[in-house]
Amino acid sequence: MMQTLGLRLANNRKFLPLGATVALFAIAFLAGTIFFPGMRDGQSFFNLFITTPFLLILVVGEGLVIISGGIDLSVSGVLALTTVASAALLRDGWDPWVVIGLMLGMGVLFGAVMGLFIAYLRVQPFIATLAGMWLARGLCYIISDSEIRIYNPLYRTLSGTRILIPGLADPVTKKGDYVTILVVVALVVLAVGMYIAHFTKFGRTIYAMGGNNGLNEQSARLMGLRVDRTKVQVYMLSGFCSALAGIAYSIYVGSGHGTHATGMELTTIAAVVIGGMALTGGEGYLLGGLFGVLITALIQSLIQFNGQLSSWWTSIVIGALMLVFIGVQSLLATMNARQLAAGRLGSPGARSATAGPRRSLLRDRRVLIGAAAVVVILVVAQVVGAQNPSGASGGAAACTLKPFRQDHAAELIKGGAVIAYERNGGSGCVDELYAIYPDGRIVGDNGAQTVKKQALPADVDALLGSINDLGWFTDNMYSTTEIQCGQCFTYYTAVSYKGVLKTVKAVDGGTAAPANYWLMTGRLSTILPAFGAGAQ
Amino acid sequence: MSTLRSVIRVGGVRDSRLMVPIVALAAILLIDLIVVPGFFNLEMKDGHLYGSLVDILRNSAPTVVLAIGMTLVIATGGVDLSVGAIMAIAASVACILIDPRIIGLNLQGNITAVVGDPTYSFAPIPVVIVASLVVAVACGLWNGVLVSFGRIQPMVATLILMIAGRGIAQLITNSIKIIIFNDAFAYIGNGFIILPFSLFIVVALFAGAWLLTRRTAIGLFVESVGISFRASLYAGINEKRIKLFAYSFCGFCAGVAGLIAVSSIRTSDANQIGLYTELDAILAVVIGGTLLGTGGRFSLLGSVLGGLVIQATQTSMYAIGVAASAITAVKAVMVIIVIILYSRQVQDLGGRLVARLGRKQAAT
Amino acid sequence: MTGPATDIVVMENIDKSFPGVHALKQVNFSLARGEIHALVGENGAGKSTLIRVLTGVERPESGTIRLDGVEVTIRSPLHAQSLGISTVYQEVNLCPNLTVAENLLIGRQPMKRRHVDWKTMNRQAREILQGLDIAIDVTQPLGSYSIAIQQMAAIARALVISSAKVLVLDEPTSSLTGHETDQLFRVMRKLRGEGIAIVFITHFLDQVYEVSDRVTVLRNGSVVGVYETAGLPRLTLITLMLGRSLTELDDINRHRIESSQHIGTESLLEAEGVGVFGSIAPFDLVLHAGEVVGFAGLLGSGRTEMAQLLFGIDQPTTGSMTMDGAPIRKFSPIGSIERGVALCPEDRKAEGIVADLTVRENIIMAMQASRGWFRHLSTSDQYAIAERYIKLLNIATPSADQPVKNLSGGNQQKVILARWLATNPRLLILDEPTRGIDVGTKADIQKLVLSLAEEGKSCIFISSELEEVLRTSHRIVVMRDRAKVSEFAGDVDEQELMQAIAGGES
Repeated sequence: MMQTLGLRLANNRKFLPLGATVALFAIAFLAGTIFFPGMRDGQSFFNLFITTPFLLILVVGEGLVIISGGIDLSVSGVLALTTVASAALLRDGWDPWVVIGLMLGMGVLFGAVMGLFIAYLRVQPFIATLAGMWLARGLCYIISDSEIRIYNPLYRTLSGTRILIPGLADPVTKKGDYVTILVVVALVVLAVGMYIAHFTKFGRTIYAMGGNNGLNEQSARLMGLRVDRTKVQVYMLSGFCSALAGIAYSIYVGSGHGTHATGMELTTIAAVVIGGMALTGGEGYLLGGLFGVLITALIQSLIQFNGQLSSWWTSIVIGALMLVFIGVQSLLATMNARQLAAGRLGSPGARSATAGPRRSLLRDRRVLIGAAAVVVILVVAQVVGAQNPSGASGGAAACTLKPFRQDHAAELIKGGAVIAYERNGGSGCVDELYAIYPDGRIVGDNGAQTVKKQALPADVDALLGSINDLGWFTDNMYSTTEIQCGQCFTYYTAVSYKGVLKTVKAVDGGTAAPANYWLMTGRLSTILPAFGAGAQ
Repeated sequence: MSTLRSVIRVGGVRDSRLMVPIVALAAILLIDLIVVPGFFNLEMKDGHLYGSLVDILRNSAPTVVLAIGMTLVIATGGVDLSVGAIMAIAASVACILIDPRIIGLNLQGNITAVVGDPTYSFAPIPVVIVASLVVAVACGLWNGVLVSFGRIQPMVATLILMIAGRGIAQLITNSIKIIIFNDAFAYIGNGFIILPFSLFIVVALFAGAWLLTRRTAIGLFVESVGISFRASLYAGINEKRIKLFAYSFCGFCAGVAGLIAVSSIRTSDANQIGLYTELDAILAVVIGGTLLGTGGRFSLLGSVLGGLVIQATQTSMYAIGVAASAITAVKAVMVIIVIILYSRQVQDLGGRLVARLGRKQAAT
Repeated sequence: MTGPATDIVVMENIDKSFPGVHALKQVNFSLARGEIHALVGENGAGKSTLIRVLTGVERPESGTIRLDGVEVTIRSPLHAQSLGISTVYQEVNLCPNLTVAENLLIGRQPMKRRHVDWKTMNRQAREILQGLDIAIDVTQPLGSYSIAIQQMAAIARALVISSAKVLVLDEPTSSLTGHETDQLFRVMRKLRGEGIAIVFITHFLDQVYEVSDRVTVLRNGSVVGVYETAGLPRLTLITLMLGRSLTELDDINRHRIESSQHIGTESLLEAEGVGVFGSIAPFDLVLHAGEVVGFAGLLGSGRTEMAQLLFGIDQPTTGSMTMDGAPIRKFSPIGSIERGVALCPEDRKAEGIVADLTVRENIIMAMQASRGWFRHLSTSDQYAIAERYIKLLNIATPSADQPVKNLSGGNQQKVILARWLATNPRLLILDEPTRGIDVGTKADIQKLVLSLAEEGKSCIFISSELEEVLRTSHRIVVMRDRAKVSEFAGDVDEQELMQAIAGGES
């Protein structure tokens, strides 16, 4: 009787992290629908999937690597490399299916090389995949310094097609809740990953190798499992997923660039941890990774709907969640160890040299859990406390930044403009391109409206002069990162002065541009005409 | 050869290990000498020394400072991934203390404060510096508590602050890029006393770290804890306190690096300051000979040299004309070479070669 | 009957040395089919080395191994497994995060059309365990079961996967309750009946008598003898294990007798009812200055745990201790060092030396720890201290800057001793200080202990070598089964001592 009760407890315990993740997601989503009427639309649930298919694909590969006891930091690098390489090939007229196949092969090869370093040269996975990430990103820039747009019709189709959800949409009017093809692909990858994890020898070896502070790997070897070979294979799988995610990403944003998905490896790892897979390996389920991804998307959504909090709260909340989950995992591990020890106390020969340290271990960990709880409470209080009931006019999902209209800007310059200045994003999700002419004319175009203004030629001269004074015309031009953050602007500026054309891109929250650049944008802002209200 | 060996016997690392960064640095400088005309030119203008060599020294300051702090953490067998985020946090604290007029103004994201007075600072500059460093140390302490009391794996524990830290930094300045006009503060990153001022900071920090680790028992205890935590326990060493110190010191160094960085670009750009610098710092320490993962013997000088190697590579690439963005690929190749050199297979091979040479020499 | 023709394993003239210690000296060992063969000997006797040779972890320098009549070279543990020799260690080498069924069958899982057939796997696992009379839920993670069940799983896997002919059980009962031990023995007997040969390594003599057919006794790297368990009196067994070695050491004996006159009357350390729940039963102990107290008892009797308790590694759950009359409150290594207590630990490699640090650094370490972070010993002071002890203890090292891992075991032990002597302790606890050390050094250490006593220091001397304890101790405390059972004066009769150690019927 006692045994069945104890067994039931143990049974539940292994699913506890997964259950916690799912419960957390459900609670947060419900809370969102309560606070924000805008979220009650069914599409807002599906939008969580639509904005994250590449992340989910990455999580499948990374999840398996982490379960095997390793880690892969190169995932975002290989993703970016895939976008650039495929964009370049497509631009040169290659067949898209061939390109996709080639990219997947490249991903596998990349993974294989890293896996060989890790398994046979015994390099730490952290260092090997870090080098992989640097190499991948570096190769991006060797292929192309600037963004390469993708105009391929197949990609367009894959990007734009909506798959209506049966039962929630009307097939006749084609209106209703939908997901994209990429979402379906991602879910298929997840399903395949789950199958591999639970129904193949390869997958079971992955579970056997991880965890227990490296002791499991030793045991697995002694049990005759091909540990080294499996290591190489799991990194190959992760490379494949990174490349596939890269294809998905390039379809999603329509271009390839070395700055795509910067920092996504961290989000991937966070999603894996929140999904219940221990970073030490050996435990967890890929299904949890799905919910980890959904939670990160949900957090971002909630913060945007709220509108009051800065979008940087996303990373803080994710960090706090990670702390909670890691704390839970370590607490479970300690409880397990304690239970086993309790069973042995009083028996002859039980080596209790660790009894003392073990007791203090639990005490220390309780301190930690307490600290984590305090952090969580503070964070939640801030988030909830900043709720503004009148701020329920939440927008839709994240603003998808439009790519820069560089070619158009070049044309404008050819047509006589001295400054072409484009500004995308912001809370209004705008896309505004201005041309400033030496005779004082300023023309602005946001795709829907055109606006004109006549300034004094002297003003334009002064503007150019001050741009020069600010050191604009030095040889240091900054090509910068583009990070999608909900309410940020991205900027593209082209300046023609005394026959020299210089261009720069920048984004709020992510630029290597000097302070003077922002002074310049400030001055531009004062001189530019504004678009009328309602110009979305 | 033996006199060279005894000269190099600094820090606790075996001579051969220190050879790697020295040889690497020499090789890079040699390439520069051959390929880039005027690389070694030094010019004196307005009492400042200019030249590529000076550039290397100045630009390497943040990395070297981080590497000094990271060395101790890695020596205890851990790692600190959050140093970039701590840099950003320290920078934000400094900026908000210099110009807190931003708070309360409902400015979103892209609008920056344009206040031109070069002497204005809300708090006195010394207070600004001290406050930033205190916050940085607190961050390091947080990491240390997670690692030593929470018994969480260092990589995992510091990952949390790495992810959340930038958000915190952005929050402090309300996502606004504050431009610093205060000249006194800007002196940290931009000032010159013949040589760049940041160089003196680095030297002072290195001297301080060296005194702290080699003229007290701290260095010995750190190495002991990294090599054998149990034996250290039995010998009466308080392993928890040592780890707390290591992570706090690393946080302190990250704070210094953050101040140098923010004062040299004069803007609090919480997203970009220190981005990927943790990886540079770890690489510098690894090149310098301290073992990642196991820890133990460390060499501050090795880490400094490692940082110089990384920066020299970068500056040389610029000088040769390699595109800025391809630098990461070069760094990757460097990492791969270091990995291979330090891998056990190559070490064994090297050991056997040296033994055979020794035998030949003995025979003759 | 046994004999070279029917024996499944025959090891002849096995010789193995490590730097500084001759672990196996021309050892012969044979194992018959269908027997449970116990292998006993104190630490350092060579039984673990012998097993490591048999299971492929080490290669012998000379000697032959015959398996089923055929001479073999065992290259690795995996190779040994493939030959039919399986080992189950005390730390079960399975994966606690996988289910029981998976642990039994992973690598050979039943597959159905290219995917893992969980249902069949679970059923097969259940059947296998039933063969060992065990009925548990095989779908639960292995780690959720007690060590006893985990061991059973390891045994089951060994039998199934490797179709083992020889099963080596290395200290399997150390973490088991009485009931679980009975279960294990039932399984062992069943396997014996099926013709499997079992090597049973243990330090619990009761269990040797309960379950084994024959017993091989090792001491100091040599085989003392092979006996039928049934016909071997307990006391004889212990005598064989602990033995008496030749004494050129009578002057040490004399030294001891003389120095006993100088023992102080005031107590240095007093322990009253001190114990750790689940580890040491409450005991009383009084130590005087200038006294050497020996702790005798078999492996597992709790001597090391008691030493760790006295040094502050473990906290007592009952009782109290006083030093110089003042109650002790700060139970930690550093607290002990400050009070003048030092412990030279049993496990030199894991708890003693800091391998990559130099001899000098290892020697001054504890002294520096007691001074804290900032009262740094200058480098010249460090060298002076190190040189002094290198000379005093005759440590064989090219210089004080040699990494201590390059020294032989005996010299490493001396370095650890030097470390503790440098702290100028008033009570020095030595846990197996002469293990794995050559005879000459052993004598040096025993002489050192007595000279310390002469200087007015106290010593606790723990050793499995009985004659060593007898030679150097003024008083002897006997431990058995985690409890102190008796105390004798130093000139106790050896037989009486053995009796106390053995306990039970002889």
